[in-house]
Amino acid sequence: MYGYAGKIARINLTDRTVTQIPTSKYVPENIGGRGVCNRIFWDEMRPGIGALEPGNMLIYMTGATTGTGIPTGGRSVFTGISPNSFPEQYAWSGIGGMVGAELKFAGWDGFIIEGRADSRVYIYIEDDRIEFLDASPLWGLLVHPCQRKLEELHGDGVQSMVIGPAGENLMRNASITTSNDNVAAKSGFGAVFGSKNLKAITIRGTGDVRPYDIEKIFDLRLKMGSPYMRPSPLHREATHGMDGNEIPVEGGWLRGQVACSHGCNQHCNRLMIDMKSAFGDERINQVEKCVGIFAYGFQEDCSWTPIQNYETERNHFLPCKMLSREEPEPDTGDPHFSELFTPVRGDVTNYWKPDFDKGSVMMDMCNEYGIDKWDVIVWYMTWLSMAKKEGLLDDLDFGMEVDVESEAFVRHFLDMITYRRGKYGSIFAEGMARAIRKLGKEKYGDTIYRGRYSQMTGERIDVPVSLETAWGHSYHWQGRGFEATINKPGWIATSLELMNSSRDVQTVAHHHEKFENYLEYKDDPCHSPLLVEGVAFDENKAEIKDSVTCCDWQSPDLYWPDMEAEMFTAATGIPMTAAQLSEAAERSRLLFRAILIRDFGRCRDMEVGAIFPTMQYPDPFGQTVGWDEWNDLVDIYYKRRGYDIKTGVPTRPTLEKYGLGDVASALGCAAN
Amino acid sequence: MDTGRSYGPHVAQAPPEYSLCAGCNSCEIICSLVHDGVVSPSRRRLAVRRDIRTMMHTVYSCQHCTDHPCYDKCPKKGTAMKLTPDGVAYIDESGCIGCGLCHKACVFDPPRINYVKSAPKETRRARKCDMCLGRPEGPACVQWCPVKCLTVV
Repeated sequence: MYGYAGKIARINLTDRTVTQIPTSKYVPENIGGRGVCNRIFWDEMRPGIGALEPGNMLIYMTGATTGTGIPTGGRSVFTGISPNSFPEQYAWSGIGGMVGAELKFAGWDGFIIEGRADSRVYIYIEDDRIEFLDASPLWGLLVHPCQRKLEELHGDGVQSMVIGPAGENLMRNASITTSNDNVAAKSGFGAVFGSKNLKAITIRGTGDVRPYDIEKIFDLRLKMGSPYMRPSPLHREATHGMDGNEIPVEGGWLRGQVACSHGCNQHCNRLMIDMKSAFGDERINQVEKCVGIFAYGFQEDCSWTPIQNYETERNHFLPCKMLSREEPEPDTGDPHFSELFTPVRGDVTNYWKPDFDKGSVMMDMCNEYGIDKWDVIVWYMTWLSMAKKEGLLDDLDFGMEVDVESEAFVRHFLDMITYRRGKYGSIFAEGMARAIRKLGKEKYGDTIYRGRYSQMTGERIDVPVSLETAWGHSYHWQGRGFEATINKPGWIATSLELMNSSRDVQTVAHHHEKFENYLEYKDDPCHSPLLVEGVAFDENKAEIKDSVTCCDWQSPDLYWPDMEAEMFTAATGIPMTAAQLSEAAERSRLLFRAILIRDFGRCRDMEVGAIFPTMQYPDPFGQTVGWDEWNDLVDIYYKRRGYDIKTGVPTRPTLEKYGLGDVASALGCAAN
Repeated sequence: MDTGRSYGPHVAQAPPEYSLCAGCNSCEIICSLVHDGVVSPSRRRLAVRRDIRTMMHTVYSCQHCTDHPCYDKCPKKGTAMKLTPDGVAYIDESGCIGCGLCHKACVFDPPRINYVKSAPKETRRARKCDMCLGRPEGPACVQWCPVKCLTVV
């Protein structure tokens, strides 16, 4: 097989056995990555299993492009029942790094982790050999020391995925970390590792990945994302932060740019050099992506420039250009230039003043403990700030005065929740959604914070102290909370995407839309089949990204719709069009939805009930959405997807159209 | 590393003040694609050694020692290990018996010859940088490094 390694390992921790599944059982129909995961999970799992029970299955898959040198193909994906979703549901988590390529060099396209080891183990994969080794020397280690220890044990050049103390202690938002601080974090699969007594997976591969069309790979390397192809020196920056959070740094700080994954032709991640560590005097380097910037200061929310979501042929660029500060010069001759490039300032939030060292310590603790930074920065810390200001914390004894501007308190709190110290350590280790309910949602979650102001209207924006949106995640590009400053048509679209998901989806389905379409529906987004088509497009592209595989920051390119298909064909030699990939994405999404319906009770009432309340707080322009208009939009979306409008269950004809008649029968879909 | 030796033209990593290695491994990938049509850590002729903690990475490539001890140690020299008229030592893998003596003879740590001892005997070969001999554009790793942190010195 070109592109693929050819086999998937089924690794059972309970009886410590390994068996092989030919990848050809699932591809090319399911493409790879998440598409294959969804098929396996549908075929093999049943309802009634908890995320942290041995019966949960953690599936890891690479894509056909992984390890081929096709840019962004180094990304890979985990799926399983997420302990961080609320309620627990099937979800996924993407991860970059070198580990996916290394696995393919070892001859495997992916693996399925089943059961629970009766003692602490790590898995060592060297080509065909898969071993279960004693993790006693690793248990308790922080993330980087664990990675280093594995190199000591197995030699330079091995690639590892590890958990830190957060995963060991079953913190529901624990991450799995690999090289260059790449994590699978949002779904809390680090806790699933911990629940299985699994500390790490270390891989050494010495074999080959054989792509089909090498000339095409070179062509893609030059074309995808307009690679820099010139020197990228270290920069000494005088300030850090953006918008209202910018602060001077004494002596400046050193910024480099690094790639996240094997073979990428971009370097969008910031390497912050010589930073303060949380664990000793030694200075450290750490990687900063989007949300990390707000660890340092969060007085003002992220600003929004419409070009981030709406694009024209004359003005469109990839998100990966933003953090490396390589955005192309805008085409000022574009008739929509002014609308696309006029920034909208974020809300004044007054969460915490900038503090460069404290921000670095917070980042380092997330990295070393293995905790999802999104939850820490956007949710735990903002809640502590807001709840304190609203006088809600007077009766809660955290063992230290709550002060999110104090480095000592940040250390104390993150330490407390990671190691489940005391009453509140255990409560908050369950994640914010569960912790707030344990404390009492009405008081500790829904109390309005009175310190946030729109810079658009000058009015106070009454959002609650807990920035919770649907499925146990915090707001993200949804008109409230973090990255709130997006206009109503934008957050209507992102909220619809979230409704259909089981976790925050804006990390892989970042909303992209042609500006010409936006102009068509901007005054009445909830009654627009065009908006729904845009949502379906972005959802399908997300599926494709996690299956081919490629990256949310290079895909989709609205003006190169065949890009992912060209990548797939270059890797595999299998002819593929954008339309065929889209069909595979529809199939993958149907399987995902079928899993949610069969195993987790997903239905229209459930998902509308989860999302609608999150949009009843005003956005920065004072906008909300009404019950009727939202439900009108859901009707249009369900029709577009081929779901029953009352229940949200895909109809039999829809499922059969994509070769999923067996799924229709399992769901009890009536014959038409 | 100063070994007191003299070297021929070779691929070298620029200092980060000129360009920071992005750690993408493109150089390794391109190397094995150009030479063998596959991507493989066993077939690359240069290596990125990753630092887990600093995330600043080092590219190791053959320095083309002018006294070429690797060539001298090859039991099949002239068949496996060969010299160009300019004195560049390169490996003709069709003649390589996979003994690993060239790897042992390399004066550098880590050795700049890629030799995977655990590979099956029938496919075990030594591989080293040949400066992309005969390639008009010169070394492919230099040409395709996305941040141009590699150069020929």
